[in-house]
Amino acid sequence: MTRAIGFLGAALLAMTTGCMSFDGLDAPVRLETNVADWRDRVIYQVLVDRFADGDAGNNFNVDMSSQARWHGGDWAGLEGKLDYLSELGVGALWISPVYRNVETDASVDGYHGYWPQDFTTTNIHYGDLMALRSLVRSAHDRGIAVILDVVTNHVGQLFFYDINLNGNPDESVRGSGEQSEVTHINEYDPDFDPRGIQAETSLGEAGPAPVIFNHDPASNHMPPVPVVLQRPEMYNRRGRTVSFEDPDQLLHGDFPGGLKDLDTTRCEVKQAMVDVYARWVELTDVDGFRIDTIKHVDREFWRYFAQKVRQRLARQGKTNFFMFGEAFDGREELVGAYTKSELPSAETLARENECVEDGLGITGDQLDGVFHFPQYYQVIRDVFRDSLSTDRIERLWSDRTKHYGTSANELGTGLPPVKTLVNFIDNHDVPRFLFEGDAAGLRLALLFVMSQDGLPCIYYGTEQDLRGGNDPANREDMWLTGYATTGDTFRYTQALARLRAKYVALRRGDARVVWASARTGAEQDAGIFAFERSGGDAGDAYALVVMNTNREHVSAPVFGGAPMKVGVNPGTVLVDVLGSPSSPPGTKYTVSGQGTLLIELPPRTGALLVPQSEL
Amino acid sequence: MLQVPGRVLVYLPRDPTVRFLLTSTVFLTATFAASSARSDDVTPAPRRPRRDATEEPTTAERTTRREHGDESAEPKAATQRASREDASRREDEPPLAERSSTAPSDKRTPMADAPPKVEPREPVSPPPSEPAPTLARAGLVVPTNTNGHRGTFVFGSYGRVLAASDAAGRPARDSDIVAYGSRVDAVNYVELELRREDHWEATGIDTRIVSTLAIGNSIFHHNGVFDAQVAVRNLYLEAMNLGHRGLSAWAGSRMYRGDDIYLLNFWPLDNLNTMGAGLRFEAPTHTIAQLHIGFGQPDSPFYKQRASRPSPLNQFGAATIDLLDRQRWIGSARLEQPIRFGEKVGMKLVAYGEAHRLPAGERETARDGVFEAVPAEAGFVVGGQLGAWTGERNSHLNVFVRYAGGLAAYGEFATPSSLGVDRTTSGARELQVAFGGNYELGRFAVMAGGYLRSFRNASRALDASDVDEGSVIVRPQVWFRDWLGIGVEGGYQLQQRGTLVVPEEGGSPAPIVATMPRFAVMPFISPAGRGSFSRPMMWLIYSAGFRDAGARALYPVDDPFRTRAVEHFFGVGAEWWFGSSSYGGTLQ
Repeated sequence: MTRAIGFLGAALLAMTTGCMSFDGLDAPVRLETNVADWRDRVIYQVLVDRFADGDAGNNFNVDMSSQARWHGGDWAGLEGKLDYLSELGVGALWISPVYRNVETDASVDGYHGYWPQDFTTTNIHYGDLMALRSLVRSAHDRGIAVILDVVTNHVGQLFFYDINLNGNPDESVRGSGEQSEVTHINEYDPDFDPRGIQAETSLGEAGPAPVIFNHDPASNHMPPVPVVLQRPEMYNRRGRTVSFEDPDQLLHGDFPGGLKDLDTTRCEVKQAMVDVYARWVELTDVDGFRIDTIKHVDREFWRYFAQKVRQRLARQGKTNFFMFGEAFDGREELVGAYTKSELPSAETLARENECVEDGLGITGDQLDGVFHFPQYYQVIRDVFRDSLSTDRIERLWSDRTKHYGTSANELGTGLPPVKTLVNFIDNHDVPRFLFEGDAAGLRLALLFVMSQDGLPCIYYGTEQDLRGGNDPANREDMWLTGYATTGDTFRYTQALARLRAKYVALRRGDARVVWASARTGAEQDAGIFAFERSGGDAGDAYALVVMNTNREHVSAPVFGGAPMKVGVNPGTVLVDVLGSPSSPPGTKYTVSGQGTLLIELPPRTGALLVPQSEL
Repeated sequence: MLQVPGRVLVYLPRDPTVRFLLTSTVFLTATFAASSARSDDVTPAPRRPRRDATEEPTTAERTTRREHGDESAEPKAATQRASREDASRREDEPPLAERSSTAPSDKRTPMADAPPKVEPREPVSPPPSEPAPTLARAGLVVPTNTNGHRGTFVFGSYGRVLAASDAAGRPARDSDIVAYGSRVDAVNYVELELRREDHWEATGIDTRIVSTLAIGNSIFHHNGVFDAQVAVRNLYLEAMNLGHRGLSAWAGSRMYRGDDIYLLNFWPLDNLNTMGAGLRFEAPTHTIAQLHIGFGQPDSPFYKQRASRPSPLNQFGAATIDLLDRQRWIGSARLEQPIRFGEKVGMKLVAYGEAHRLPAGERETARDGVFEAVPAEAGFVVGGQLGAWTGERNSHLNVFVRYAGGLAAYGEFATPSSLGVDRTTSGARELQVAFGGNYELGRFAVMAGGYLRSFRNASRALDASDVDEGSVIVRPQVWFRDWLGIGVEGGYQLQQRGTLVVPEEGGSPAPIVATMPRFAVMPFISPAGRGSFSRPMMWLIYSAGFRDAGARALYPVDDPFRTRAVEHFFGVGAEWWFGSSSYGGTLQ
């Protein structure tokens, strides 16, 4: 009773003194550099809507019976699971876009965050600014950096092309039937037209089709914010990309689904994007951007965006801000192009500098890194899932310095982009590895990305053996797993993260392939791939990774009687710190007098060797 | 275990509702038994003379701010959920959550009437010793004696009508930014009560059957729609003097309320609308104990889910079934103790509590054939009131404190939202402190009221339905003649919601505090004479409200209230009450 009276008294006092506690909002956010070397971090990708529901108060229109609808995850829930992520060994958290989205479109919800409408306010399904700040603060308290997912290429389906000039968004007008099989297309998503979408009447074309913004508050099909994006000329207005091979369509077409393509060559768009996204950093002290659909954006945009964001944040004390992009493409030269420091022609540069208002001219710097999609196709899929030859890994790696930036960006991470490629096994846009792969293959893939040069990125639920297929089946509810920390894959991933944290060679050493094989049959070395990590920023530290990717037999890095030569002195004792079912952790291997190493691995197993002296 | 007088140990079940009901029953029984022992040789208290209806004590009604379908215009509709989740109990009343209350009948003792009390003004009202009989008051029916009883029909009503405009010529609209602001712009509402009262000579029992129809906005003469929103606000039978003088019981559908704050249109402590039954006992010591249990099932998927299934017996078509079908149990207990100081001055203490219970259930998810459990809910209310009156005219002061937790924090008609992580209302809470009073002297009177309210939904995080708010209002009045006067009203409203807004001038999202001073001038005609509660009354109104940026931010884009910093309001209105029984007590 006394306590009840005391509580009532306290509540009354709080109420009468106007106390509504907005935690963390009173003090301005101080920007800090929270990451010294991004290679020390294991990135963990979270689809916020699917990870944890910590606040039922924001569960608006939740429908868990469909994978394409809102499921209720939020920042409060994610914050509540940070200990789980710490236990796994996560060092950086990549979260879904934070701004307000189109709520729903054609019975699919904007739960993923890639349909921006208001770039300046939070997605209230995830929480408010307090919740976001709290998440970031709690993550930083645990030594976890936070990376925001950002979209600059497009907005959601916020307007339609009034092709028949009747003022209504008609679902069916005459389609071309030439560039695609679609013969009846609607005014939301018409086929690409390089001239711009044309209006037409029964008498023929009638000039550019007017752009009319939708106004449906319930589904949040509303004009975009910031308001500069409400001007039609801010968009390319050429309709839906039909062929990704056509550079014009790739850069200037609407992303399929009617996501309206911004004209990212315009100064207003460039400046707006820097403003809205730098502001999110200033509001929260997040540590990096994962940038969506970069290959659909003009190259000049990336020069402006990356440089102006770095400069603006550096002025406030934040450096080492990591910006990496997603170019969903298997071509190294294309993917790597966004990381190179290349100046355009003088004429183009002069035009680009017209957008500069702070006097700091544009240089060739672009992004700090990219998702290594070519590796996803050529290694994760071909080698670890399908057991194709491992020599393709060596070929892929050998051309890295040719395709990726080799000099650090000014005010960037301090590392050349070629050293900060983001390596992943799967993500929200591709089927999970286990959808078609096997558990042993997943372990090899985990060993590979956690020990190779660059930053490993783990898609949420990988550690829980989730196995969904293509989007949205690969966006499962994490809470259904119970966040168990006792499963084999969780423990394996955790062990790799700890080993990566312990051995600097695995994080900062240069990579050198010491064995790769074109053979996939009964040959002695079929399926073997081995690489060393040493030198570089790791000094004398050393690590050797050996994997047997074939499914049939024991293999060894020996062919034609010539065993694998390694880069440590003869007589060095190497210890397998990872172990496998046939070779427990602690198994020792001695480098021969000729500098070779004899090691045999059962099918689809690997070893992670470090000198005994470094244990 | 509950220890009751006599040191009898009673086992109580774990279910909180059952515990509450058992405890309350024991309490009421004990009160009854104790008073019986004392009152056997007590001469019944003298009956207070029946008074004219226009002299009834505080006759007040309250309204919800969105009761007439104007939700889009309300501040609480400024956010998606606010209109539903703001949802403290008073804002989730049915659309016609209006009512009037009248004074106790002739059988009530003076002490039981308070507060507020009425002292009939000599020039206008008939003297207390010459009450107008009920029949004459109603003017309807002559008593009958054909079956050994006397009976009468009584008609009563509360009503208010307002014709008003803003400065732009638009229909005037409630501009309060808080749940309980000024009532000068309260929307049209009327209650029509037809009551049958009987005395059964064979048993000595008195009964009354009360039916109250309420009609809300809009009015035919305004919109030309020959239709009306009608609700049944009372439909119950009450029997009095059940074997013991002072003991009564009722059953049916009933508004169940205590004292209000007239200026705020607000019942701060006890205000329930349920279908159920109750007991009331008034001891010769004037102690009043009330006990009630009722049920309610708001029209919401939170309470009920209907589904279509194939017809049985291999028949064509589909049958509709109720998959989820649960109703809220509400029990209430009220204990009132008046204390007299001399002939006129007095005070009273009220202790009040409610227990709410909603059983668990099961509902079908969006995927046919896949079901999910719906957890049980519980809640409670505890509160108290301290009232005092001078005994001179209607001068009185009431102070209220009320705390609600869990399901009860959302009010009896609410659909709880912003639930906790366990998908229940556990953790929701509401604290209210309020006061209301009136003082009259000669040609002058001043009414005042105010409240502070803090509501937190069950969700741990702050959101738009978490509210701290309050208002204070003062209305001095002066009579130039017995039937003519003027009132001036000043008020201040303040509200903060648990959400962040980007300021109009840009910058970081920040909490907003909305404030709104209001001012009104009301010349009035009071045919029944002087008195703050003298009705009927008609008035002219000019009101001005001043919204700051926070107040404007409560409204959606393009709402005139979002752009106007000053709100002007011109109108003419009328208000009356007479003969209505819709008061918290009984006509005993």
